[in-house]
Amino acid sequence: MSWAAHDLEPYAIQRHSKLKLAFVPVLIGSYAPDLMTKWFVYGINIGPWQLKADNPIQFHRGWPGFGFTHSLTFGLLVGLVIWKVFGSKTWGIGFLVGHWAHALTDTGDTVGTQLLFPWTQHFHVDAWAYAGQVGRELDAAAYFSGLGGMWDAVWIVYGLYSWRVLTREYFDKYIVPADRFWGWAGKRVSQTALLTLYRAAFFYGTTRWIAWTIWAHVLHDYPYDLSWGGPHWVEAGHP
Amino acid sequence: MRLRLTRRSDDAFRFPRRNQLPTLALYLGAAALYIGIGLITQDFLFSVVVAIGYLLIVAWLVPAVVRRLR
Repeated sequence: MSWAAHDLEPYAIQRHSKLKLAFVPVLIGSYAPDLMTKWFVYGINIGPWQLKADNPIQFHRGWPGFGFTHSLTFGLLVGLVIWKVFGSKTWGIGFLVGHWAHALTDTGDTVGTQLLFPWTQHFHVDAWAYAGQVGRELDAAAYFSGLGGMWDAVWIVYGLYSWRVLTREYFDKYIVPADRFWGWAGKRVSQTALLTLYRAAFFYGTTRWIAWTIWAHVLHDYPYDLSWGGPHWVEAGHP
Repeated sequence: MRLRLTRRSDDAFRFPRRNQLPTLALYLGAAALYIGIGLITQDFLFSVVVAIGYLLIVAWLVPAVVRRLR
């Protein structure tokens, strides 16, 4: 899986796109594949019951399972529905772009994604170990000890270098005009609240990268392993 | 050779201006607190919804209340 990359890619996509992309649907698209699935990979507790997939890898990325949520096909379909059924081309295209970024980024691990679902071939580069099946904290320790965490670091460094996309001036000049959502929301909350909302994903991606890195390597002694497919001290998942 | 004054891109890198430093400090403080809470209880780090709510409180609501009380 990728962690902070999914939070930060939308800012870079919006900044560099030749299309007039609306930021919010790009961000929602970027989050969409994991929104309904990742909780069941790790398991959630509702009272005395725990809901958890028996086979987290198949549930999350495979078939039968919810692997189709990580396919380019799914992103295209949902984007079309948003455009044609709900009538917003801006949101449809934005969602598609964000979703495809997520699907492609997740090919970086050892499980990969079924990009061309219903063809169930997994496309995976194996750069870092998929470890969702071992539980969320060990998954975090593993991710932030391998090339996946470094992949996130690239986005964070680039994001910090491009910090001006988070300024009020940039928000007012480029983000607000691209999407009527901000005008609608602006009638209900202050401009400062909107700006804070816009900055939130960047904040989340960057701070949790720092927090997990400190947790894994300062509070605990998980070793870094930046070799391909690592860290090899965790049992990597495969399709 | 003629020199032409070109306009800097709106998002080209430059260091923050002095009037942007209070905002930067606010977000750095919010980040430090978020990281601290997350190190104590890792559940805090798993939800983007929690992070959005946290940031809205710390970076918008609290400063707005402080300004109103002054």
